[in-house]
Amino acid sequence: MESIIVILPLLVKMGIVVAVLLLLPLPLTWLERKIAAHIQQRPGPMRVGWHGLLQPLADAIKLLTKEDHIPMDADRLLFKMAPVVALVPPFVVFVAIPFGEPVQIFGSSYTLALSDMNVGLLFILAVSGIGVFGVILAGWASNSKYAVLGSLRSIAQMISYEIPMGFSVIGVVMLAGSMNLSDIVHAQDGLWNIVYQPIGFFVFFVAGLAEAQRIPFDLPEAEGDLGAGYHTEYSGIRFSLFMLAEYVVMVVLALLNALLFFGGWLGAPPFLPPALWLLLKTGFFIWVFMWFRFTFPRYRYDQLMSIGWKVLLPLSLLNILISGIFMF
Amino acid sequence: MARSQATKQGWIGWIFFSDLAAGLMLTLRYMFSKTVTHHYPDAEKWLPYERHRGHHFMKTNDEGDVNCVACELCSKICPCDCIIVIPFEDDKGNRRPQVFDIDLARCLYCGLCEDACPADAIKLGREYEMSEISTGALVVHLDDLVAAPDKARDGGQLVPARLIPGDNPHSEVIAGKDGRDWWRSIRRD
Ligand code: SF4
Ligand code: SF4
Repeated sequence: MESIIVILPLLVKMGIVVAVLLLLPLPLTWLERKIAAHIQQRPGPMRVGWHGLLQPLADAIKLLTKEDHIPMDADRLLFKMAPVVALVPPFVVFVAIPFGEPVQIFGSSYTLALSDMNVGLLFILAVSGIGVFGVILAGWASNSKYAVLGSLRSIAQMISYEIPMGFSVIGVVMLAGSMNLSDIVHAQDGLWNIVYQPIGFFVFFVAGLAEAQRIPFDLPEAEGDLGAGYHTEYSGIRFSLFMLAEYVVMVVLALLNALLFFGGWLGAPPFLPPALWLLLKTGFFIWVFMWFRFTFPRYRYDQLMSIGWKVLLPLSLLNILISGIFMF
Repeated sequence: MARSQATKQGWIGWIFFSDLAAGLMLTLRYMFSKTVTHHYPDAEKWLPYERHRGHHFMKTNDEGDVNCVACELCSKICPCDCIIVIPFEDDKGNRRPQVFDIDLARCLYCGLCEDACPADAIKLGREYEMSEISTGALVVHLDDLVAAPDKARDGGQLVPARLIPGDNPHSEVIAGKDGRDWWRSIRRD
């Protein structure tokens, strides 16, 4: 009986998070297409539903019913595994993300996180690092030159950018004195971290763009030079898993930007529930990511590397040094 | 990062990404400007200019006869060889076309037939909705040409319209409503 009381809320929370994450790409693809369209003075999808709102649904049906093609010389096991390997880590990351203060329902208190673990930030960085394996496996198993090139690029990119990303949050951890995300948010009660950590935010944001493989750092799937990059050979439902993973990674990064540097759910206007306030901030960052996508061209491969190693890495180390001096 | 840009704006601009910021501001302004897409055929329709070269039409004189004197100059000059004219003598003793067929599927709407015509007879009009199920249906005859719409007098407007479905689906302009000049409303900065 005791264990049911513990497990049941956990299952409910898990169900909600997974359901929301699985459905999230629908509005996000719509949003992305709308933003792309309006930047180019087009209205975007308009015909299916009000202002094309049902368009993603039609696209989903199309994707799910398409032929699931596997190239003849592909490594079938790895080929089938890769989308799942790419999809799982961004979902697992949500285990450690809190969405607000604990809430009281019928006298018992529930946290708004699956697990408010004390090494939350480390867990998130570690797990999201696994996501690159999906890309590598996909590229390798497809037995296609574009896919291999895409996955090679993504290996180099992920490794180069995970380092400055990890360093850039050290300043935040130093300020909060904890790796627990709730504590980090509480530490921003007075002033948001963006004020104390502008360099940290900059490095985290840019490295995040690279981690999410979004323009201007979308070299692994550069449509222009690689066909579609690592998922060139994927179609149907497996392709949609990759797409899902990409969108969830984007949501994770937007959430982390809001939690680590913009006060999380703190500072909500009185009429808004704090969790919604956090989601609004997240939505803002998602919008910024999409805005960037349709503004900038793609960096060249050598530029990508030199930005990572020669600009972001020294900046993140400098940020740690400055934070240390100020705290001392 | 754009070095040439950087030298122009100095290193301060380079540090604060002034070129990237300029690009972002541009796309932001575009994001909140009006779209220019034609919502054709069920909400809007574009009215062609007078110079528009669409579906041919045949002019008639005061007595109701066609202007064409069946000289076959249009059929000679046509680069696509898509006009067939067979002359005959009508009751008034005038030379007129007995057969005047244009294959609109082969026509390239160059307007040479219009230029060649000595009798001010064949013209290219405003009509541009010509879809058919078969290419054979695109061969138009003399009576079709006489009935076809003439040249537009004003144009360039995007006016409210509605879709008329059925055998001959087309977009019908809703009368009495003002259009917008979509060409001028395109943002260019
Ligand atoms: S418009 Fe040009 S191609 Fe068409 S019928 Fe006239 S001359 Fe021929
Ligand atoms: S349409 Fe004009 S050019 Fe053609 S046959 Fe008639 S008169 Fe001659």
